Amino acid sequence: MIMSNANMRTVFKQFGLLLISVAGLYAIVLAVTLMLVPRQEVTNGLDTAQAANTLYFTEPKYVFLARSALNTPSDKIIMLGASNVVVGFKQAQVQKMVPSAQVHNLGVGGSNMTQIREVIDLVQEVQSPQARQHNTFVIGIWYGLFADDAVRWNTPDRHAGDTDIDIERYRYGFFRRGASGPVEVLPARYLDTGTTLIHPYLVIDGWTRDMTSVLRQHLSGKTKVITDAQRNAVVLTEDEKQRYLDFWADYMGHRPLSEQQFAVLRDLVSTIVANGGHVILVDLPLPAWHAQRSSYSAQYQQHKQQLFAELAHEPNVRTVEMRSNESSDENFSDEVHPKPRVTQAWAQELVSALNAQHSNTQTLTQDTLQQSAKPVE
Amino acid sequence: MAFTSLNFLVLIALLVVLTQCFVTPLGRSIVLCLASAAFIASYVSTPVQLIPLAAFLLFCYGLVRSVQARPSRRSLALSIALVVASFIYLKKFSFLDGVGTLPFPYLVIGLSYILFRVIHILVDACQGGLPAKIGPLSFFNYTSNVLSFVSGPIQRFQDFAERSTAQLVLDEDKVFAAFSRVITGFIKLAIVSAIADYFFASLSARLLGTVSIGSWASAVALYAFAASAYTVYLYYNFSGYMDIVIGVSWLIGLDLPENFNRPFSSRNFLEFWSRWHMTLSDWFKLYVFNPLLKAMTMRVESPALQTYLGVIAFFVTFLIMGMWHGTTSVFLVYGLLLGAGASANKLWQISMTRRLGKQRYKALAANALHAWLCTGLTFAYFALALTCFWTDMPQLLSLIHLLGVGGFVAALLAMAVVVGVTLMGTHAAASWLAPRVEGWGKATSGLIARNLLMGTRVLAIAVVASFFHKAPEFVYRAF
Repeated sequence: MIMSNANMRTVFKQFGLLLISVAGLYAIVLAVTLMLVPRQEVTNGLDTAQAANTLYFTEPKYVFLARSALNTPSDKIIMLGASNVVVGFKQAQVQKMVPSAQVHNLGVGGSNMTQIREVIDLVQEVQSPQARQHNTFVIGIWYGLFADDAVRWNTPDRHAGDTDIDIERYRYGFFRRGASGPVEVLPARYLDTGTTLIHPYLVIDGWTRDMTSVLRQHLSGKTKVITDAQRNAVVLTEDEKQRYLDFWADYMGHRPLSEQQFAVLRDLVSTIVANGGHVILVDLPLPAWHAQRSSYSAQYQQHKQQLFAELAHEPNVRTVEMRSNESSDENFSDEVHPKPRVTQAWAQELVSALNAQHSNTQTLTQDTLQQSAKPVE
Repeated sequence: MAFTSLNFLVLIALLVVLTQCFVTPLGRSIVLCLASAAFIASYVSTPVQLIPLAAFLLFCYGLVRSVQARPSRRSLALSIALVVASFIYLKKFSFLDGVGTLPFPYLVIGLSYILFRVIHILVDACQGGLPAKIGPLSFFNYTSNVLSFVSGPIQRFQDFAERSTAQLVLDEDKVFAAFSRVITGFIKLAIVSAIADYFFASLSARLLGTVSIGSWASAVALYAFAASAYTVYLYYNFSGYMDIVIGVSWLIGLDLPENFNRPFSSRNFLEFWSRWHMTLSDWFKLYVFNPLLKAMTMRVESPALQTYLGVIAFFVTFLIMGMWHGTTSVFLVYGLLLGAGASANKLWQISMTRRLGKQRYKALAANALHAWLCTGLTFAYFALALTCFWTDMPQLLSLIHLLGVGGFVAALLAMAVVVGVTLMGTHAAASWLAPRVEGWGKATSGLIARNLLMGTRVLAIAVVASFFHKAPEFVYRAF
């Protein structure tokens, strides 16, 4: 071996200079962005509906980076699901009716059961075993959650199979891509430190999103965000209904509901219960026209009835069918999302289920009272 | 192995460091060989998938040695025919659907560029243009060099051999220039091409989707924006990759040739191809266009017709070059568009020279407005041809149905005017700005200032890359 010390020294010197420059500049940018846009502490319950008003901006990033607020010794009601949970179960409305527990809405638009499972994993990852016993997961389900992974997470803008949550895991290097999925790089106990260190990224991301919002709206061809009043006044035409049905047929990949996604649901229920938590499965309503005309809705009802029957005798599990009068067409602003004027009724129905669950088991409150005296690990 | 992956960064870091450890020609060759082997192996999951590539390389090496041993036109023609036939078989061109293929999946990436390099060696070997007998290590490193395996640039073997044996001396400025070039490449790849790709993906999804776009004019506008965005994406993606590999080649002493020279400042289609993927264009000029023109000139005696032989030679050369890009029928359309563009360009030059005379045609070409509109038209035509890269045949047909010929012409003219005027404005602004920032270069050339500037560029890459769900693929690896 003939080593060229001079060449090697020159290369390493340049690499070192670059490294020092990058580190120094990043430290300056970090200090400046922390001064200009201080970190926001979560004081109330987490609410993904508010993600756009935070530095995290998107629902998946909000769930991934803000979740350490869930490591508390108090009772928590954590609502999970897709966009109809975000829109339908308003965190503030539910919280008002359940003052004894902290209510969080961690719904993420476009989720399937795999992604909901990941959100639960993320939650439990930051919690001590004792904190996990105070979890009541409310999972709002409907057929859209049972889209096969191969169909749902296979778009050109992502690595095949990556969920929206996976993308956030990899985005800042907190996780790395392993042979069988994401592998933790930054232990969950350092999540807040990591979030502080990536503050410049979040701030610049936010500024960029603000500056390009109009452009992005034009590019996507999506209509402008409409107000609650406009949403309340929506009446769908027959063409729009057909377009929605076609959209969901494409979304589900024109194949039957995924058995594997029901297996994921069964498994996550078992995991939560094994950790001492509670689960409330809420069958979310669809507008009658959608439920009647979609073949997926019929398949889903069959699977769901079987699942609910299996879970009927689980002590920490409750199943709820939201079917009072919310499924009438005029209560929906589109094919799945309830109008703002009916969310109060949704909240009431959910709280009734929560009360029933608590009164059935009793153990939750008693355990909570006993355990809240102990320090959380 | 993606060029934006950590694995690739580690591989090139190891390549650079180990090359400095083993600076003798043999030592450097072994390091390059190992890095290339590791790079190629990263594309497969089982060794079996490498067998066809290895067999192709061995076969080509045998032919090269045989032509070197007994150089003759006959052995050259036979060797080229055999290499091209093996290439076509291994690439699984769609017109060979009836012919059996190997019964297992295998690696086809890199085959095209191996073919170009092998034909170059065969021709030069036959003509006695090679310095000496080529050893297997040298052959493998030349044809499968980690830095240019996927998409070039195509270095002449003579230059490669000379650089491989020359003493490797690095000074601070050369190393800084190499780092800077690599970072420029990542800026092009991870920032500019990623943003252009984002625009393209959003626009093309609407254009090719099932939801109604609205009026014909909206569809034409959408197409023009999508086609322009794709062209920008392709250029910055490809030239970014070139910057990265050229920068690394400076650090290991290989000094790969340049492949781009501001192609979008070209005033006509033929000039464009002397600035875009230059090493490939040179290869086609040397090994397809020149022999073809020579052969035709020898057969056609009429001086009036000889003027037009170039038109035919350009058409055939660009048709082959276009078809080479892919194995499906849409690439035949691409080849026809390239051929039509090149031959129309040549015809225009001939007819304008005849009509106006050389002096007046020169004066017209020098007119600023004419020049910028021609620049815009060159971009627009290339963007239109590139539609074949982002559509398959059914999509292309549905696009033709949606826009009609009139829609494509309208989009072409709109792109030509918008791009021409934009480039003219940019050029004017740059000319105005140049004397005003003259001192800036000196002020930032100091050790600290230049490294801080480079650090800022690295941070920009890191931040913008975080906006996207995944790093952009190197698009040209598909060809």
